[in-house]
Amino acid sequence: MQKYEAPIKDIKYLINSVFKINNYSNLDKFKKINPETTNLILEEASKFTQNVLLPLNQLGDLEGCKFIEGDVQTPEGFKEAYNDFIEGGWSSLTFDEEFGGQGLPTIIGVIVSEMIVSTNMAFGMYPGLTQGAYKAIEEFGNSEQKKLYLPKFAEGKWTGTMNLTEPQCGTDLGLIKTKAEPITDGSYSITGSKIFISAGEHDLSENIIHLVLARLPDAPPGIKGISLFIVPKFLPNDKGELSERNYVNCVSIENKMGIKASSTCEMKYESATGYLLGEKNKGMRAMFIMMNEARLGVGIQGLGMSEVAYQSAAEYTKDRLQGRSLVSPLNPELPADPIIVHPDVRRMLLSIRSFNEAARSLSIWIALNIDIAEHHPDTEIQKNASDFVALMTPIAKAFLTDSSFENVNLALQCYGGHGYIRDHGMEQFVRDTRITQLYEGTSGIQALDLVGRKLPQDMGRLLRQFFHPVDKFIKENISVEDLSEIIMPLAKSFARLQQASAWVAENGMSNPNEAAGASSDYLKLFGFVALGYMWAMMAKTSHFMLNDEDSDIQFHQDKINLSKFYMNKVLPETSSLLSKITAGSKTLMSIKNSNF
Amino acid sequence: MSAFNKVAIIGSGLMGSGIAAQIANSGTKVLLLDIVSNQSDNRNSISEKAIQTLHKTKPSPLMHKKNAALITPGNIEDHMHLISDCDWVCEVVVEDLSIKHDIYKKIEKFCPKETIVSSNTSTIPLSKLMNGFSNSFKEKFMITHFFNPPRYMPLLEVVPGKETKKNYINKIVEFSDIYLGKEIVFCKDTPGFIANRIGIFWSMVSTQKAYDLDLTIEQADAIVGRPMGVPKTGIFGLMDLTGIDLKDHVIDSMFQSLPKSDSFFQLYKPNHPLNPLTKKMVKEGYIGRKGKGGFYRLVNDKGVKRKQALDLKSGEYREIIKPNFESIKSSKKDLKKLIGFNDKGSIYAWEVLSHVLKYAADLIPVISDDVLSVDQAMKSGYAWKYGPFELIDQLGTDWFSKRLKEFKMDIPEIIKVANGRPFYRFENDKKEFLSFEGDYKPIPFNPESWALEEIKFGQKPVASNKSASIWDIGDGVACLEFHSKMNAVDNDTLLMVKEAAKLDKKGFKALIIGNDSSNFSAGANIGMALFAANLAMWPLLEQTFKEGQSAYSALKYSPIPVVAAPAGMSLGGGCEVCLHADFVNAHSELYMGLVEVGVGIVPGWGGVKEMIFRHFQNEKRAGGPMPALMEVFQTIGLAKVSTSAHEAKDLLFLGKNNAITMNRKRLLADAKKQALLLAKDYTPPSKEDVVFLPGKTARTAFYLAINELRKSGKITDHDVVVAKELANIVSGGETDIINPVNEKHILDLELLGISKLFRESKSLDRMEYMLTNGKPLRN
Repeated sequence: MQKYEAPIKDIKYLINSVFKINNYSNLDKFKKINPETTNLILEEASKFTQNVLLPLNQLGDLEGCKFIEGDVQTPEGFKEAYNDFIEGGWSSLTFDEEFGGQGLPTIIGVIVSEMIVSTNMAFGMYPGLTQGAYKAIEEFGNSEQKKLYLPKFAEGKWTGTMNLTEPQCGTDLGLIKTKAEPITDGSYSITGSKIFISAGEHDLSENIIHLVLARLPDAPPGIKGISLFIVPKFLPNDKGELSERNYVNCVSIENKMGIKASSTCEMKYESATGYLLGEKNKGMRAMFIMMNEARLGVGIQGLGMSEVAYQSAAEYTKDRLQGRSLVSPLNPELPADPIIVHPDVRRMLLSIRSFNEAARSLSIWIALNIDIAEHHPDTEIQKNASDFVALMTPIAKAFLTDSSFENVNLALQCYGGHGYIRDHGMEQFVRDTRITQLYEGTSGIQALDLVGRKLPQDMGRLLRQFFHPVDKFIKENISVEDLSEIIMPLAKSFARLQQASAWVAENGMSNPNEAAGASSDYLKLFGFVALGYMWAMMAKTSHFMLNDEDSDIQFHQDKINLSKFYMNKVLPETSSLLSKITAGSKTLMSIKNSNF
Repeated sequence: MSAFNKVAIIGSGLMGSGIAAQIANSGTKVLLLDIVSNQSDNRNSISEKAIQTLHKTKPSPLMHKKNAALITPGNIEDHMHLISDCDWVCEVVVEDLSIKHDIYKKIEKFCPKETIVSSNTSTIPLSKLMNGFSNSFKEKFMITHFFNPPRYMPLLEVVPGKETKKNYINKIVEFSDIYLGKEIVFCKDTPGFIANRIGIFWSMVSTQKAYDLDLTIEQADAIVGRPMGVPKTGIFGLMDLTGIDLKDHVIDSMFQSLPKSDSFFQLYKPNHPLNPLTKKMVKEGYIGRKGKGGFYRLVNDKGVKRKQALDLKSGEYREIIKPNFESIKSSKKDLKKLIGFNDKGSIYAWEVLSHVLKYAADLIPVISDDVLSVDQAMKSGYAWKYGPFELIDQLGTDWFSKRLKEFKMDIPEIIKVANGRPFYRFENDKKEFLSFEGDYKPIPFNPESWALEEIKFGQKPVASNKSASIWDIGDGVACLEFHSKMNAVDNDTLLMVKEAAKLDKKGFKALIIGNDSSNFSAGANIGMALFAANLAMWPLLEQTFKEGQSAYSALKYSPIPVVAAPAGMSLGGGCEVCLHADFVNAHSELYMGLVEVGVGIVPGWGGVKEMIFRHFQNEKRAGGPMPALMEVFQTIGLAKVSTSAHEAKDLLFLGKNNAITMNRKRLLADAKKQALLLAKDYTPPSKEDVVFLPGKTARTAFYLAINELRKSGKITDHDVVVAKELANIVSGGETDIINPVNEKHILDLELLGISKLFRESKSLDRMEYMLTNGKPLRN
């Protein structure tokens, strides 16, 4: 059974005790929140996601979206859920107050989206894409565009999309063919086809605002000649009242492996009216802003799926009676013991859980830095934070989703053959999670971004924002006796990561294939060490909190134990990764293309 | 050797005073005469003012301000008799035949029999200059054509007359070569000689074609600059530098003097729209960098300087548009690929190259019998990396000839002679050039003046890696050559340094350290160090610092003598390596300094140590340790860089007995000579040397000075952090004036200081900024 209870206790622990967000009350957005308001938001979000979204998850998967003569019908109950969603104010949490938003920090947004993903990833796609469109217009729109579109997004009345992919171009957007021709009134006529457009057409909102990449007639070739356009489904007047239907249509929806309740559309633009967003030929810049946030968002999807899979599996292994403990029976009075007594079952559960709690911590760390990068008064601190976000985004995207896919499979494994049966809901997690490794740039592309762009940038400047704090942390805590079991393994793995980074930089400089050949392993190694650092921070926090009078001893003891599990049973992976990295890429390239 | 006692320069304009300064730079006395001013009671005011201007000109014509004292001002009415004790009289007056004739008559009257006379004319044929003069005057007369600025442009075109005596020519050549550092190219008595004949044609073609093809000036400069081995100023940037007001003048002189059959007349369009534009610019004072601006100009936008470019069509300035030619990017300095690509850039490249290279080829043997002189003239007079015939070789004579045919252009005779063969080839370990007769002649090797490149032909290095190599340069002497990017010192370089320090084991008796690059070394490669610091790999970094210290120490205490031969930029780790040599034979153009504070660190490879010992051993130093230490602190703390070898002596980067070579091509040969001298009876320096440093009291004094500077706003907070680390090293750390301190003690302090500073984020920011922008960040 799909089972979920929002991890509120863990979230509160992370934001209050580990990252101490009250230290950031000097940032504008953080003035809005205090422990009470945060609590209220978490409670309400958990109620909404558990009570409204979770029950629709399996139903939505079964029913899927329906394409009926150009319209897309979402599964039963989605429209009502969406209305609850906007009434609850969930559509505008982090949007600016000037445009009808609630002006809350990104970390609140990240926390709530994890809950949404856990309970109904497909549903989350619709507001998720709106978030990206909002950001792009907020950053690059002129004041009229902002005034027109942003409040509608905040209200949830209009939703947004991102139109990048075309049949002939996915990763390589330089190949885009969709045309934009200027019209005398200053708008543009957009013609072309786009595929894989999530939320491209649906029945949840009264209007859909497409952000479309297209090429102007005089544009330079390749990636430098792409501009971004706003193409509304219904053309609004200045007041936002809808008038004529624009010449943009959904011509079909994809029949896909998972997230079936999310519509994935093929869009046709036939001289549709569009408006330039930002500067001509600078569309990729705008797209990257959207994409960066979206990539972190996909990482969170990985986390959310891993979390719900863990909870469902943990519940099942406590209930499922089968065989006996190998040491001594737990339930002598019953015919069998629950399977959770078995070390290998526990290995699977703990692998997932030790990932989830550290990945949550990492997500919050990145989100916090997004807030600092945007709002800190000191430009130096701003720059450092934005360096950190740039560095960690590909890691969050690829490592969190790749691990998630392994985790949901482990969770399914806990069910034995029952995991393969649709009713239990586990195979849905496997299918739904799979997309996160593919869209917004595959994991391989993230790894290339890391070694090709982020690592060498300005002689490794971005790296400083991760390596220096970790180095400092290790130095400060390595002699704390009770923590040595945790810090020592971290220190070893950290040294491996340093060594690997230097290897990739040095060898990649003379032969880019060396960097590329090591990229996926390097990203993974980085991910393991990043989570290791999160565990060490949590272990330290809990270690000191154990002595607090009113603290939850069991909670902190579990944290320390989980931290040790991670150091003993997960982090040693870094050793094999380092060997693989420094073995070089020769064997990858030695077999001829034609012999594959 | 033809050292001159005194040289007279007649005419103290830009060129005259520049030549005078360069002669003074050689330590030779100069008499500088000009006309009597009618605006001043002081009859020498014109030449006196010219000398004053030398002090203000940038880049400075003087290698040391005290050199100006060697120049005696005067006027041609009262002081002409003073030329009687001059070895050489050089006329540099306006290009007016009758004025020149008047001057020559005066010279003839006063100058002794053995005094050589020359003219710096660039436009008047020698035959006209000597028209009507006696044979005995003609015997000692020639044209010596310098290039502007005379200190920095190595070319000297020498045009002897039919009657000029060989020994006079030899004397001028030797003096100019050895004492003035000139590269001599003999020319025939034809208009513009070699360099300007081709250079003016090149500039005319490349500007007009840029306009005709509708290129922006940035685009034109991007094509005719770097890709062709021409300085990045290209053509429009170069005209800004030399002065747009000169353009009409030089075109005019070519117009007047060239034979009408010259290709110049086929290509030059007197009515070209560029002509009214440049006329208007000159009229309004937009003559280039010395005026209000030129094709480019700098505008001051609230204290921030911004570069703008002139739109050739509208004549208005606009913001710089960075050129973006696919042809440049994809051809990667391959000239043939650049031309073969099909964009506007490649069309322009061919338009310019086809005409200019053909023009140069057509002029053999009119202006020179051999291709070698033409190439040399363009390289040392216009700072081209490759001469016209080297450029044709890059394309291939066959390819070039076919392509000319395709474009219906005549094939020059010398190209036909080449018949598909290159102009230069390597044969029997020697470089040879193609003569007009069609056979190859070796480029003669001069043991007094050579480039390492010439020795390397056909030789295997004694040892080598990607950053440095060791070569056997004969007579038991080895040369350690740096060849990494900007000759930056990295781990590989240090390995070679260590290797070089024990060359006695391989039978060598002396070592020189030098290379052919215009810059000896830009310093330690901070790129990899910065990367390691960003990764918090502290032990690895400390290892690198220690490696440097031990490599440089090994050099200092090597059983064989070490002579460093730095030229151009010799900074940071590149300066430190010289500080550890037994002897330095420097090129006169030496920009040496310990500039580490600019990137937020302190010298860590023994630089501070060596400077402390030098200042303590300085005979002229004031009493007590403090004045000497203050000098060290200031030299390093202010990152002082010498603007010449002479200044480097003042700063004690060079010892007072160290040698200075004026001609870059003689540098390695001179260094080798010094090394052999030292090897005769060599004992390595003593390792037992100690100094007595005051420790805390000195540190406190430095701290006070630092705090004062901070209070007055002269330095930043981070400057304070860096300066305090330096103060700690210079004062000797935890020591006392009564305790002797050895080298190791100071090296350890350097290590400590640099390690600490590498952990400062702001220092890392400085390094990153330097690496990305090529200039220091003041944070």
